[in-house]
Amino acid sequence: MKNSYFPGCNLKTEAKGFEQSAIAVSKELDAELVEMPEWNCCGTVQTMTTDNLMRRIAPVRVLSRASKHVKELEGSPNQVTTLCSMCNSTLKIVNAEVKENPNDLEKINFQLENDDLVYEGDMEVKHFLEILRDNVGYENIAKKVTNPLEGMKIASYYGCMLLHPEKAKIDDEEMPTVMESIALSLGAEVVDWPYFKQCCGSYHIVDRDDIVNSQVVKIIRNAKKTGANALIVACPLCAYNLDNQQVELEKLGVEKDPIPIFYFTQLMAIAMGLPQKVNHFEDHHINPKTLLKELGLLGKKK
Amino acid sequence: MAKTKSKTKAENQTQMVKIYIMGSMYEVPSSLTIMKAIEYAGFKLTRGSGCRAGFCGACATVYRKEGDFRIYTALACQTQVEEGMYLTQMPFVPANKAKYDIDTLDPIASTILRYYPEVARCLSCNACSRVCPQEIQVMDYVQHCLHGEIDKAAAVSFDCVQCGLCAIRCPAEIPQYHVATLVRRLHGKYNMKPPETLEKRVREIEDGVFEEGFKELMSLPEDKLRHKYYHERDFVDQKKA
Repeated sequence: MKNSYFPGCNLKTEAKGFEQSAIAVSKELDAELVEMPEWNCCGTVQTMTTDNLMRRIAPVRVLSRASKHVKELEGSPNQVTTLCSMCNSTLKIVNAEVKENPNDLEKINFQLENDDLVYEGDMEVKHFLEILRDNVGYENIAKKVTNPLEGMKIASYYGCMLLHPEKAKIDDEEMPTVMESIALSLGAEVVDWPYFKQCCGSYHIVDRDDIVNSQVVKIIRNAKKTGANALIVACPLCAYNLDNQQVELEKLGVEKDPIPIFYFTQLMAIAMGLPQKVNHFEDHHINPKTLLKELGLLGKKK
Repeated sequence: MAKTKSKTKAENQTQMVKIYIMGSMYEVPSSLTIMKAIEYAGFKLTRGSGCRAGFCGACATVYRKEGDFRIYTALACQTQVEEGMYLTQMPFVPANKAKYDIDTLDPIASTILRYYPEVARCLSCNACSRVCPQEIQVMDYVQHCLHGEIDKAAAVSFDCVQCGLCAIRCPAEIPQYHVATLVRRLHGKYNMKPPETLEKRVREIEDGVFEEGFKELMSLPEDKLRHKYYHERDFVDQKKA
């Protein structure tokens, strides 16, 4: 099966390892992510104002272009797949709200019709985690594992965007299981920890890194306390804050022994013995290879 | 300036159209370009006119048509007049142009955002693409900038003539055409191979291969130069070619 895939800006800049590992993994699992042509920024936080429809042109344009892309992909369902949890949230919320409010959709379509493009409200937005859970299935992931992640104790970090709000959540907001189930099917251990959706500090990183630091230190200390030696994430901003700020916290003498941050797809690629280069570990601030070497998980091929 | 003049014989045989230049009505031959029509009406263009061949981007025009709510744009030298056009020229577009040392940059998204942070404000409304007289997908290259796809942004923006119409229509207030200049400079400097032929020619110049020839030319009197230029030169006959 082929899935129309919307990357989002960060997947092309800061989170290349997330995108490339996800695409490699998706091909292995016969759920290939095919990038939609000529996509634009999802609109991020700016789309959250419900009364400023100008801000919602961007996500609706993505949905309408994806709808066109789906028709070009043979046998693809009417859905667009995302990796970034912020893009996922933005597109899901706007998609739900324009379907509920046809008047709003009509106004936005006035802007799109000049480009011979209108959105019919015929698309669904899926996060890749949902595709893995609902279309691929955990047992089929497990079948592809050639390099089980023995010795990895993983804390699954969902952050805010995957579980909230109601319109955008991909799993139960109090007891999510999708990331844990994937980690288990890769042969890793998972930890049960209460900080799985503690906010990472988000955009405060731009001008108030003290706020981010205070969040990151809580999250990381809690993960370590439960015995985790790695975190998995699904959001480039969470990844940046947790990864980069652990290094900063070490410099400030606040917290030692940083633990590596992985995108869940990077660990899938390692467990499936896919080529190393898709993971772009060189972009990480805490070198994930140190732990992988220690556990003898590095460099094994399928 | 008189708004109506008595018609010549030729004018009586020519189909005329009514146009409005900054609110005043003029009758002009329908075969004229907007630029020629403005001059026909008696205006002298001191700005907003350049190469008259669609390359320089100096003659950006904004217009509406009678009974049509949409805003249209064009290059005045490339577009024929139509009945009922309400015209005005954009002789200059105010837009900030960043200063940078191209030798010290990286060809990545954050470079563009450092000099033009407003790029991140793009609403994806596509107003820029719709007004572009070169039919460039302006919004798409602005988005390629955000994705750090310098090569794609350079390719898509390549035909830009810097008329600035995109920048005046943009609700996010992005000076797209200046962003595109930065993008193409980054692409040329960091992504493209230096062309072998250019390097070869520069070496030839430095080695003095052409010095004799130039000396000879510089010593010729004007009449001999003229003869060389107009008669001895290899011409490509455009009509035959």
